[in-house]
Amino acid sequence: MKTWHWIALGVVFIISLILEFFFMEIKSPHWWNSIPAFYAIWGFLGTVAIIYISKWLGKLFIFRDEDYYDT
Amino acid sequence: MILELLTIPAVILILGAFLLPLVPERARSSVFIVFPLAALGILWSLPEGSLIQVPFASYELHLLTVDSLSRIFGTIFVMITIIGGVYAFHLKDLGQQSSALAYAGGALGVTFAGDFFTLFIFWEIMAAASTYLIWARKTEASDKAGMRYLLVHIFGGGLLFSGILLHLSSGGSFLIENLEETYTLANIFILLGVGLNSAIPPLHAWLADAYPKATITGAVFMSAFTTKSAVYILIRLFPGWDILVYVGVAMALYGVVYAVLVNDIREILAYHIVSQVGYMVAGVGIGTEMAINGTTAHAFSHILYKSLLFMGAGAVIYATGKSKLTELGGFAKKMPVVVGLYMIGAFSISGFPFFNGFISKSMVVSAAGYAHFETVMLLLILASVGTFLHTGLKLPYFTWFGEKKSEFDVSKVPLNMKIAMGMGAFFCTLFGVYPDLLYRFLPYAVDYQPYTFYHFVEMMQILVFTFIGFWLLRKKLEGTPTIALDTDWLYRRPAKLVRLVFVKGPNELFGLAERGSLAFVNKVSGLSKNPLIYLIPKFAMEGREIKSDGFSATMSAALAFILFGFLIVSLIILL
Repeated sequence: MKTWHWIALGVVFIISLILEFFFMEIKSPHWWNSIPAFYAIWGFLGTVAIIYISKWLGKLFIFRDEDYYDT
Repeated sequence: MILELLTIPAVILILGAFLLPLVPERARSSVFIVFPLAALGILWSLPEGSLIQVPFASYELHLLTVDSLSRIFGTIFVMITIIGGVYAFHLKDLGQQSSALAYAGGALGVTFAGDFFTLFIFWEIMAAASTYLIWARKTEASDKAGMRYLLVHIFGGGLLFSGILLHLSSGGSFLIENLEETYTLANIFILLGVGLNSAIPPLHAWLADAYPKATITGAVFMSAFTTKSAVYILIRLFPGWDILVYVGVAMALYGVVYAVLVNDIREILAYHIVSQVGYMVAGVGIGTEMAINGTTAHAFSHILYKSLLFMGAGAVIYATGKSKLTELGGFAKKMPVVVGLYMIGAFSISGFPFFNGFISKSMVVSAAGYAHFETVMLLLILASVGTFLHTGLKLPYFTWFGEKKSEFDVSKVPLNMKIAMGMGAFFCTLFGVYPDLLYRFLPYAVDYQPYTFYHFVEMMQILVFTFIGFWLLRKKLEGTPTIALDTDWLYRRPAKLVRLVFVKGPNELFGLAERGSLAFVNKVSGLSKNPLIYLIPKFAMEGREIKSDGFSATMSAALAFILFGFLIVSLIILL
């Protein structure tokens, strides 16, 4: 990724923060609405969790050789 | 009466499947598209209500029941038949074309069925016709996968039919109506039968097993019909069943976990069908008007973007002959149009604003929020993180952009495949930009606005940080040359043992019994030889060999006649 890609992502994120703090209205409140930038945190932690937990499960009992069913 | 039957959209397509062989080969692909177009015209001109009843034994079959729900599902099934027809336009394979039409006809028949028998008949037509789309690949793996697919669906059909019979025998309605949330044997069987077609784990393994092995064009149809027609039946029978909320969430996450692990591009997409159908199943379980609307809208959107994704993956396989992440990479510049159109599908499934996933997925998720299923809502959002991670990032990155991992040529993709992808991409964007085009046809009045600051903020933050997470950990997501075990292990691994016990064993036993009884008969028949042989052994006279039991054919016939006459006479006398 080039520097401008990171800058673009940063700009989108900042716009989302501006919208969140100044324009967003909450129709159906949830406990996480009080955490600032919650969806960013959830998105990032979710990605990390999905990758690590899945790989861990895979190594635990799901991965097999490609010819597993042929032998 | 016959003319009336022709107003049933399903009949038009199934009739098409039978007429197609009579059409000259070069016109066949064009004629293919005429049938779904006709069905589309007819299904929008039909009034609402149960339009055709046919007596059947002591029941009355309701072949054509139209309301807003069946109409919107019918519309998307027909639309995808048209798009799939364009995608398969270059194909010269009558078997695939006919079975695709019959398959679409089955899905439409299920959609407009007003009673359980009609439903079941079309349900089985779908299973049979779709199996051929796997077999038509004509590899050893697809032969076996097709047989497994067929057996699993016959089992599922059996569950459904058992449920229907139990339901009827316990005084249940013959018509398809909401079932009361009680766990009677009948309801459980029906739920399992429909759940199998909805790919609810652990009954889902047929999907990830078969779809990657189907033909390039066949998989496009398959991604649309079976699971979504089952979702439709779930909406009809089980709205508001709490268990479906949790089952749906489990599905959504199950698909995401497996999509990390598998290596075949169409298998990744297949597990994301499981994941996306999870949203719909959860929506059915929530059961509020908003949730049912969301489920319907999401099924509609899902069919469009998922078939687009399958078309993109199919184009990769068509051009390179390869389907594994560990063998692809580094050729995005050689098929920019396909990559671009695939990405529109990927943006749609990931819920980017202005694409159709955004306007339907958010509806299901919001419905969970409004119904106070907060954990469910968070987990569904987590699943959508996984969707973007795999379909939007991992798959395209390692297929087209990452380093090239094996030697392959990239051949030209037929224009009609690109046009079909273009059509899919057009609709994904159209409904994303003008959600009202879809919302106004949903079963309930829509009081929902997807384009709020809240949803923008939500999706922007999630997508940006999923991307960052992916970029930092992308090495972890690289494909591995392995397969991922799933619940099909239960019937694939013990197959040898089952074959030994139920096929080979009985076969050997029958063989043994047959040989034994033949030997016994031989022995016994030896005892009953003509006794004259023993009294007058054969001798030679005037150079000719004379046998005591060797008569000429005429003499034999005469003797037989005399014997027969003797028997008749003695019978007459005795009686």
